[in-house]
Amino acid sequence: MATAAYPLGGIVAPAKRPALSEYLRWSIDHKIIGVQYMVTSFIFFLIAGGMAMLIRWELLTPATDLMANGSSYNTLFTLHGTMMIFTWIVPMFAGFGNYLIPLMLGAKDMAFPWLNAFAFWLIPPSGLLLLAGYFVGPAEAGWTSYPPLSTLFSPDGQTLWALSIHLLGLSSILGAINFIVTIKNMRPPGMGWFQMPLFVWATFATSIIVVLATPFLAGALTLLILDRVAGTTFFNAAMGGDVLLWQNVFWFYSHPAVYIMVLPGFGILSELLSIHSRKPIFGYRMIALSSLAIALVGFTVWAHHMFTSLQPELRIPFMITSFIIAVPTGIKIFSWLGTIYGGKIRLNSAMLFGLGFLSLFVIGGISGMMLGSVPVDIHMHDTYFVVSHFHFVLFGGSVFAIYGGIYHWFPKITGRMLDERLGKIHFVLTYFGFLFTFFPMHILGMQGMPRRVAEYDPRFQDLNVLVGLSAFVLGISTFVLVYNAIISVYRGKVAGANPWRALTLEWQTSSPPPAYNFVGDPIPFEDPYGYGTEAAQAYLAAMEARFGPSYDPEARNKPKPPASISPTPAPEPSVGD
Amino acid sequence: MQRDLLELGLTKQEQQALQNKRAGIFIFQMSWILTFVCLAIVNWQMRFSPNWMPDPNDRLGVTLATIATALLGGSVLLVRRGLHTLNNHHLSQFLRLWLGAIILGGIFVILIGYEWVVIPSGTQYAQVFRLMTGFHMVHAVCIGIYMGIVYVNGRKRVYNANDYLWAVEAGAKLWYFVLVAWLLFYVVIYWI
Repeated sequence: MATAAYPLGGIVAPAKRPALSEYLRWSIDHKIIGVQYMVTSFIFFLIAGGMAMLIRWELLTPATDLMANGSSYNTLFTLHGTMMIFTWIVPMFAGFGNYLIPLMLGAKDMAFPWLNAFAFWLIPPSGLLLLAGYFVGPAEAGWTSYPPLSTLFSPDGQTLWALSIHLLGLSSILGAINFIVTIKNMRPPGMGWFQMPLFVWATFATSIIVVLATPFLAGALTLLILDRVAGTTFFNAAMGGDVLLWQNVFWFYSHPAVYIMVLPGFGILSELLSIHSRKPIFGYRMIALSSLAIALVGFTVWAHHMFTSLQPELRIPFMITSFIIAVPTGIKIFSWLGTIYGGKIRLNSAMLFGLGFLSLFVIGGISGMMLGSVPVDIHMHDTYFVVSHFHFVLFGGSVFAIYGGIYHWFPKITGRMLDERLGKIHFVLTYFGFLFTFFPMHILGMQGMPRRVAEYDPRFQDLNVLVGLSAFVLGISTFVLVYNAIISVYRGKVAGANPWRALTLEWQTSSPPPAYNFVGDPIPFEDPYGYGTEAAQAYLAAMEARFGPSYDPEARNKPKPPASISPTPAPEPSVGD
Repeated sequence: MQRDLLELGLTKQEQQALQNKRAGIFIFQMSWILTFVCLAIVNWQMRFSPNWMPDPNDRLGVTLATIATALLGGSVLLVRRGLHTLNNHHLSQFLRLWLGAIILGGIFVILIGYEWVVIPSGTQYAQVFRLMTGFHMVHAVCIGIYMGIVYVNGRKRVYNANDYLWAVEAGAKLWYFVLVAWLLFYVVIYWI
């Protein structure tokens, strides 16, 4: 199999795990870049999470007391939302994609390794540009940055905000082009479109959304920057401008962006549920095609964010399309339930986060349907119900998928297992911390508490205290994962090539994989989810014979041999092998 | 230029790389043209503004823009012809055609730049016109500079038909992009 794009100069074959310094400099190895994405975005996650803690601290009491004034509070939720979306979830999934897609396809790298590195290295300066707003007066118009708040009433940090998002958007587009070309051109012989792992399908659909939607964000941001620095009046109603122009163009990107943030999570979930249930995925084709359906229908729903400002005759069509998009999403949900039904479920940390995703995302989906209904949305618009809804989708969905993915692929990336006991503690704290943080917000919203306010009616205080304390638990839970990851990198049990006995190709190589990923040509199994068959058993046995035994997570009480297992030494890179 | 890859004498890896580059630039073009579509939508939505064009006489005539469009179209034809000649080992003819394409593109930029300068300010129409044509000119100038680099390399005999000419093909495809984006704007700005 010849899947290399072209000679990949510059990659040095690691005899074992790459040194820390490898991750701190320019590299065109997709595995290094993948980890760079993940670690960088996690750092931004911690920063944005710290902002969330300050927001909840402020809201423990109805008055403004922690912050100097309302503007400081505005700044916090603006940067919190922006960073969580653009510097955490989106690049984190890009990190998973970078690390896993070539491995899952049996390729030696991405189609454009240099472009891949360039796309990553746009992210750290962009994130710093966002934070640099603090030196010139930070953005405070919310992550949606509606004019005139973002044009007439925001300090210079708003310009930096727009420039930063411009760069992050460029990074996304370049990354997406790379994913599409890699998936289209670099599959191994014998791997058709419907033999690809579902994470690959999800990344493919996500990348289509990115290349089609992000240019609209670029257009909107260009107008915003020109209004702020060049004296144009596109959004200045007093000069004949139109503030709804921003809303239309911004949401034409930003609603599909919701799927950019959740489709890769769907892909991760499909992997987790099948592998840890030891069952074939239920409705493979429907899951794969529903990702494409979501990607396409996602472009027809943007105006449901504007029901309160939209012409009344346009509300019903957008309400209908918003309901339609629940159909492909529902197909996935039922397929996942069908997958785990009757399976030999391993309740390990990865699977727990997968099941957590399933339960929480459904709640977020249902509240989304409620908000997609015009009469309900007009009542709930800009209340805490909306805040609750999108956190159920983006934290209950995306972040739980990320956590599940970390527990699942950490052994592949590092060659070591994460500690399961700490993983379960992490899950319990996260799940219940999340539930008690965000579920009461539904009630607050229905009772009329507006979002984006530092001061509120005292009758809302009891629920806000519950939300705040739960949020602190949720915040602390993150550090359980950080601690677990740090100690496991050095002291975790040696994983071996395939501790989960998975059938997808990334597990058919050593952990961590060598330079160019595979020694010789990888041999894909005919069905990446064909668990429970004799053919699958034979394939796994053959792979174990080739790569040596792996850590057995189901045999905790047996004497453990893994201490003698070491990752297969990487061969010298041989271009074109 | 889309010759069968097997005819090019490329290794399997080079073929794969070429396929990747072709697919990559195609997807990039499909993506980036949407930024121009976005600005066309801006044009459409701003027409509802009370300050769009208070005086209908402010609307620019189509004559100059049509001449400019014809020049740009001619420039693209020269580029296509140039690629064909290069494939047939006629480097000097390729250089003449390529230079002609650059000159026609330069005249196009000057003509539209003239309209950019003379259009009366103070209306949303003028503002959106300057946004759209300015955005397009940035692309035309940058890609024109790249074509100039290709021309200079051609004079240094860097290219010949026995080596694969990705740099030339990429320049041509980017120039086609400039034409397609302009045709969109031309229709939206001058005819609708």
